Parts: sequence; C-alpha cells; structure tokens
Amino acid sequence: MADVVTVPQVQPVQPALRFLRVIPGVLLLAAVGYAGKLLEQNVGVYAKAHHWTFPNIEYVLWAIVLGLVISNTVGVPEIFRTGVATYEFWLKAGIVLLGARFLLGDILKLGGVSLVLVAIEIVGSLAFMTFLGRVFKLKPKLTTLLAVGSAVCGVSAIIATKGAIEADDEDSSFSIAAILALGALALFTFPVIGHFLHLSDKAYGLWAGLGVDNTAEATAAGALYSDAAGKLAVLVKSTRNAMIGFVVLAYAIYWASKGQAQAVGNKAKFLWQKFPKFVLGFLLISVLATYHFFNKDQVGALANLSRWAFLLTFAGVGLRTNFGEMRKQGLRPFAVGAIGEVAIAGFTLALVYGAGKIFGW
Amino acid sequence: MSAKVEAGKTGSRWKLSLDTWAVLAAFLLALLVRMGVFKHVPW
Repeated sequence: MADVVTVPQVQPVQPALRFLRVIPGVLLLAAVGYAGKLLEQNVGVYAKAHHWTFPNIEYVLWAIVLGLVISNTVGVPEIFRTGVATYEFWLKAGIVLLGARFLLGDILKLGGVSLVLVAIEIVGSLAFMTFLGRVFKLKPKLTTLLAVGSAVCGVSAIIATKGAIEADDEDSSFSIAAILALGALALFTFPVIGHFLHLSDKAYGLWAGLGVDNTAEATAAGALYSDAAGKLAVLVKSTRNAMIGFVVLAYAIYWASKGQAQAVGNKAKFLWQKFPKFVLGFLLISVLATYHFFNKDQVGALANLSRWAFLLTFAGVGLRTNFGEMRKQGLRPFAVGAIGEVAIAGFTLALVYGAGKIFGW
Repeated sequence: MSAKVEAGKTGSRWKLSLDTWAVLAAFLLALLVRMGVFKHVPW
C-alpha cells in the first residue's frame, strides 16, 4: 500500500517581496536595452566622423547582442534572474499597446490573409515535424512538443501542451532548449535572407510572423528588418498564437484517446484557459484607436510606450539565451528542430511568395 | 515502499495569468495617456 505523506504547503511569497525581487532584473533589462539604443545613435555618428564604413545597426540587434554577451560570458547573476524573466510581460504589454497603430479595417484585411496562411503553416509544420520525429525515433510526446513549438508559438505552446498531454519535464526541457536555440539563429538569419531576396516589408513581415517560433524572436526579427515589417510580424504571430488552444486541445484529445493523458472535460473552458489574452487586448486597443478614442498625439505616445516595452523584451531575449545550457540538452532534438525549422522557413517563404502573386504585393 | 507526496491544502487562491497582468498594465497605461497624465512619451 502506498503511504501518503502530506507536506505543508510553502507559504506564498508576499506580493511586496515579489515586486522587490523583480526590480534588479527589470533595471538590468532597461540598462541593456537603453545601452542598445545609445549604441545605435552614437556608433554610426562616431564611424562617420572617423570616415569608417560601418553598417547602421538597429537598437534591436545591439540590445540582443549585449544581452547575449552578458549571458554567455559573465552570466546573469541570481539576483537579476527573476526580473529578467519578466521580458515576456513587457512583450505582451508592448503588443497590446501596438494595437493603437492598427486600424480595425487593416487588421481584418491582413488578419484574414494571415489566418489562411497560418492555418496552412500550422497543418504543414505539424505534419512535417511529426514525420521527422518518427524518422529520428524521438519519443512520441517529445515529437508532439517539438511539433507544437515549431508550428504554433514556441515556448508558450510547449508549456501549454506539456500540461495537457502529461509529457515529462525532460521532454519539455529538450523542446524548449531546441526552440530557443533555433529562435536565436532565426533572429540573425531571417533579416539577412530577407535582404538578400529583396523582400518587401509586407512579404518579410508575413514571413517572420509565420516562420519564427517564439513571439519575442518573431517581434525582434521583424523589427530588425523595418518598423513596418515589425508591425506585420507581430500581427501574423498573434494570429498564430490565437490558434494555440485548438492545437493543444486536439493533441490533448489524441493522447487521452490513447490512455496517456487526462480526458478534457469542458472544451470551451479549456480553449478559454489556453487562449492568449494579449491578443484580445491588442484587438480592443485597435478598436479604440479606430473609433478615435485616442487623438493623434495619444496614438503616438502609445506607440512609443510599446517601443519601450519591446526594448526591455529584446534585452531579455539576449539575456535569457545561454548556449552552454542549451548544448547540455543533447543533439538529437536539436537536429530534428533544426531540420524542421529550415523546412518550415522554406515552406512559409513559398507561402508568402504564393500569397504575393495572388494579392499582387 | 512507495510514497505519494501531497501538498497541504490551504484553499484556492484567485490568480491572474501573466497574459492578463500584461493586458491590464497596458490598458492602465492607455488610460493614463487618454486622461493626459502622460502627454508626451519620447523615443
């Protein structure tokens, strides 16, 4: 007979203490992000004054690179880690505020196109990743996690699916490490390929939103290309995020049918729990902006607040990426992820070209 | 002998997700901008 040992629950940390704990890390995010902004403004001027040829590097890249250097050399000390982890919060707040820069008509027009492309991307990516997982003989639940992470929205999708299909902690760590490493690579390769192929802002924004897994990386990869591409990448990525509930529900039902996960009771409640609420916030702010709840100056102020929030996010993307930690997770899931990502990048690029031909971009 | 470990029950707490907090914070900022508390946000 199994003995039941009852462990007293650890007292929750006081809200005030929790707030104090995030301050050092948030200050680090702000310092790294602002240093990136200063470097963007001053390096070009300095190079020009000294007659050097130096490419114009955006604050987005400076902030990420500074974060990467800190994380992969001296490391992020414990005191900063809780605050650095808030970069997801700034990302989502930034996306909601970015809604002020979209008119509802544009969202419906672009959202309709991106919804079709997202649906094709999700089905194609899930099928291909499942096939790859079988070829490489990965554990079925690990394959599911990698497939969902690649097809829908990176780390959030993996975490949501892990709980629903009762996957191991080890499988989710593997998948998260692979998706984060590949997201970091996409950050640097997508803009280079986009420029090489002379993609328009619209085509590139669509591609970054469809092809880059994590929302933070997709936002950064878009912003690295241009402001307009960044806006569109966020819209398309948010459309992908909105699909998370349906995909996780489908996998939960599949694994439950095999007797390897709990059956889903109330499906509507499940969908609402998994639905990313920031997508609703983004739409609501856009509705308010469309119906002139904000004047022109106020829309400008909200857009700038969104940029500040993204600045902290980009610093966080660099600071939380540690290649040494990722290497420890093993090569096989990474290889599957890498092959899958290259195929998905090619597939989504073809989708964007196809849509461009149909809609005459 | 196997042992199941159960956390002691202290009653459920009403918690908001990170998503919801981010939306609330963004709405609060938007409201402050609308009310004119932040007239100009530099970049």
